[in-house]
Amino acid sequence: MMDKAMLPDEIKPVMESGIPAIVVTCSADGIPNATIISRVYYVDKTHIALSFQFFNKTIRNVRENPQACVAVSDLAANIKWILDVQYDHSETEGPIFDEMDMQIEAIASATGMAGIFRLRAADIYCVKSFKKLSFTSASSRE
Amino acid sequence: MIPGKILAFLEDEGTVAVSGTRETNLIPHIHYVAGWEVESDKRTIRCYINQAYTDNLISSLEDNRQFCLTVTQVGSHETYQFKGDYVGSTEPNHDDLAAHQRIKTSFAKAVSQVFGFPEEMGLAYIPRPSLVVRFTVREIFLQTPGPGAGHRLFPPEEK
Repeated sequence: MMDKAMLPDEIKPVMESGIPAIVVTCSADGIPNATIISRVYYVDKTHIALSFQFFNKTIRNVRENPQACVAVSDLAANIKWILDVQYDHSETEGPIFDEMDMQIEAIASATGMAGIFRLRAADIYCVKSFKKLSFTSASSRE
Repeated sequence: MIPGKILAFLEDEGTVAVSGTRETNLIPHIHYVAGWEVESDKRTIRCYINQAYTDNLISSLEDNRQFCLTVTQVGSHETYQFKGDYVGSTEPNHDDLAAHQRIKTSFAKAVSQVFGFPEEMGLAYIPRPSLVVRFTVREIFLQTPGPGAGHRLFPPEEK
């Protein structure tokens, strides 16, 4: 059974801040891939969601190798959260999908990229562990 | 050799970057980047990393040499990913610290313009590097958001 970490509530506003996030994945043949994404979606204390918009390398990689590393930043507090996650499943309808679809459209409009983004699925990941890196106080890990 | 247009992007236009590695068991890791500089051979990139982001870095690189670097321009979203092979690491020298300072300043100005944050906040966000990772570029991919994202630019994809 996979270990799961419990995300603290303080990470939710960081995910919702509009600051782009980072995802690193790895193909089955061992090539890492680093991507900047518009945002990470908080699902519950042990799950996050990433948007599946294009059939890109990140999507291909997590279907070959479900391990991923995700980072979100709190620019104002100078804190970065780095999450070790594992792809669990995709949802193409339902409340998580609908919420992501609406927010992606809003981000696209705000960044002058309306019409480029279209949500195909909400990819749900389990959070295995995370660390909080702060340059103003001691870092913590779970 | 990195094509001229992308070299120019790395030298003058990229404002922030992140790198990735993976362990033997294919678990990937993120390492925030505090700057970069292309060496005179135009295919080796020096990538600056603060101590806080070095967990699993050297152990992964010594295990399999796989390294990726994604550089973007805040505002325009123009983004490229460089994949390559680790060739070594060293402490930052005077030129590395100068390149770090130049990129940090550029980042602070960009986030101030795009997100409205004070420049001091942007300057604090990119900490001084403690390590230089050197890698030779094997492939370059376009990652600017849109349908063209993911296309390999170097070596060019076969048509």
